[in-house]
Amino acid sequence: MLCYTYDGSFDGLLTTIYEIYYRRQQPQEIVPAGSFNRQLFVRREHIACDEDKAARVYDAIDSKISSGALGNAYCAYLSEHPRAGMWIYEYLRLGWKLGPGVDLRLADERVHRVHKLAGKVKTEQHRLLGLVRFQLYQGDIYYAALEPDHNVLELLAPHFASRLSDQNWIIHDLRRDLAVVFNRKEWVSTGFTLKQKLELEQDEQYYQRLWRQYYDSIAISTRKNPRLQKQCMPERYWKHLVEKNGRG
Amino acid sequence: MDTIEKLKILADAAKYDVSCSSSGSKRTNQPGGVGNSAAMGICHSWSDDGRCISLLKILQSNNCVYNCSYCVNRVSNDIPRATLSPEEICDLTMNFYRRNYIEGLFLSTAVFTLPDHTMEMLLRTVKKLREEHRFNGYIHLKTIPGADTRLIEEAGRYADRMSVNIELPSQQGLKLLAPQKKKEAIIKPMSFLNSHITAAQEERKKSRKAPLFVPAGQTTQLIVGATPDPDLQILRLSESIYHKFHLKRVYYSAYIPVARHPNLPDLVKPPLLREHRIYQADWLLRFYGFHAGELLDEQNPNFAEDYDPKTDWALRNLHYFPVEINRADYEKLLRVPGIGVKSARRILVARRAAWLGFDDLKRIGVVMKRAQYFITCRGKYNGSAAMEEHLLRPRLSLNKSPSAVKKGQYEQPTLFSSWLEPVSGETPLSLITGEL
Repeated sequence: MLCYTYDGSFDGLLTTIYEIYYRRQQPQEIVPAGSFNRQLFVRREHIACDEDKAARVYDAIDSKISSGALGNAYCAYLSEHPRAGMWIYEYLRLGWKLGPGVDLRLADERVHRVHKLAGKVKTEQHRLLGLVRFQLYQGDIYYAALEPDHNVLELLAPHFASRLSDQNWIIHDLRRDLAVVFNRKEWVSTGFTLKQKLELEQDEQYYQRLWRQYYDSIAISTRKNPRLQKQCMPERYWKHLVEKNGRG
Repeated sequence: MDTIEKLKILADAAKYDVSCSSSGSKRTNQPGGVGNSAAMGICHSWSDDGRCISLLKILQSNNCVYNCSYCVNRVSNDIPRATLSPEEICDLTMNFYRRNYIEGLFLSTAVFTLPDHTMEMLLRTVKKLREEHRFNGYIHLKTIPGADTRLIEEAGRYADRMSVNIELPSQQGLKLLAPQKKKEAIIKPMSFLNSHITAAQEERKKSRKAPLFVPAGQTTQLIVGATPDPDLQILRLSESIYHKFHLKRVYYSAYIPVARHPNLPDLVKPPLLREHRIYQADWLLRFYGFHAGELLDEQNPNFAEDYDPKTDWALRNLHYFPVEINRADYEKLLRVPGIGVKSARRILVARRAAWLGFDDLKRIGVVMKRAQYFITCRGKYNGSAAMEEHLLRPRLSLNKSPSAVKKGQYEQPTLFSSWLEPVSGETPLSLITGEL
């Protein structure tokens, strides 16, 4: 059995796909180097990321399949599912055979599972567009902490960059120690940890109190429906919500 | 009174307005401005009743001159009253928006003096928000019935969506519960808005620079269960206003007993299931090509509790089925219970590439539990019962209580089913040993 490992970046994954194509060696697994488990009878080959090779695969997806397929592959990659690498490879291989028609094959297992992964990522992205909660810190910085299931930060950034274009903001993924940072002009994605505790702006507590008051007042008590509430807004997100945090 | 107290009173007074959506507008951010609108709409939180919070939904004032008996804010009700100034509302909206709590503002108000005066105040608030604070997020504004059309016209240039609530689905209901209101006063602004929205859309087709006018359209709300009007009448009313005024949505609100009055029904719980059925039917009208007359008629003017409206329709119209998945057109597919807009579209896409079988449908997202009785794949029927109404009814019933199961054709036997008498003391030995 053969297992390819890559550095965990999307370019790394594309380089791996490039190498598979030219080495004519079919792997059973494609995983990021960090999550490779040594097993008996599994031969490991590490592929170093190569930007030129990745760019060629990138263009090949875009021109020979479709930009939609590229988006699906990227979103599926962001899901960080353990089998995502292999599934994306199989999906793209079918794509190069069928062309843009690959996304019509909804009933094909290879297409279906990549669509499903991409769908999960897009769902979480959409959900978080609403659930991000900025807090205003001294120094005029709006900071939001998140712990998303998938690596969706880069999908959130463009939305906030156009919406809150006159604020300095940071969206911090605590689980992955990543952040997108915006300085009123452009956003960058970067590794990030908070070294020291920041001080809240004076008014911040006041507006949080107002928001909590609003949140409580807007609910109709005779229609209480915690099941529906949790279905729409799963409890794992509550930790970073002003209106839910520490209030049960 | 401080802002937090006012917010408490005025959010509490606004909560019975169910409209919450922030979709349909794609206003872009301007340089130096704050915010934009996402056409798909974004929910920002969900309150304890499970309804989404997308907008800061608030009354500017809950001082009302009217005395509609179904409403908490009626003049004769003894509740604390408050009024927010335009500046206070702008401050709340901007600060909530910058922290990503909300998608925009939903501004309504009680009619505290003349309709014109009230409308003018709402207008002043949204104008301030758009011009001074350069807010480009979503604004949903209530239209005050009876206000001058010039005011409504001006407001429409600032708002993304406007709405006039019909509330009571019949003239008799209006007379009984809100004698100060007239049907004409509600219909007039609706038709006025409709003509202006249509005209603005035409202008936008000619030039992208034409000014926006209520780009997300108008909506309204009907109360379900405050008057004895049957579902059929409510649905017919919705159908006609969708048709006539091109409304984006009609919202339905199960009547929640906020007052006791001889003209009001004495309810213990709000009729939530009824509201749910009407919403389902509303979707069938807007996206599935159904007519109100197909779903209900004079003999059955109300929806069944045990079946959703589409399944109920299908069971009464079995001659329409089975539908062949690989050939039927979109409109036909949409009528199958268990197939929705999304899965019907996906079927159309997927069958261009390959023949579809039952397993494929499951993967596409069709609810086979319901759909299996109404479809064929390449001519094959795979339902677990023949297509006859008396066989399908118990299988498709949503009410799974024991009495409903008994009505079915068979019962799951348990170890100690009633027909298996326990062996009693007087049983002959032969029965146990099997020897004769």
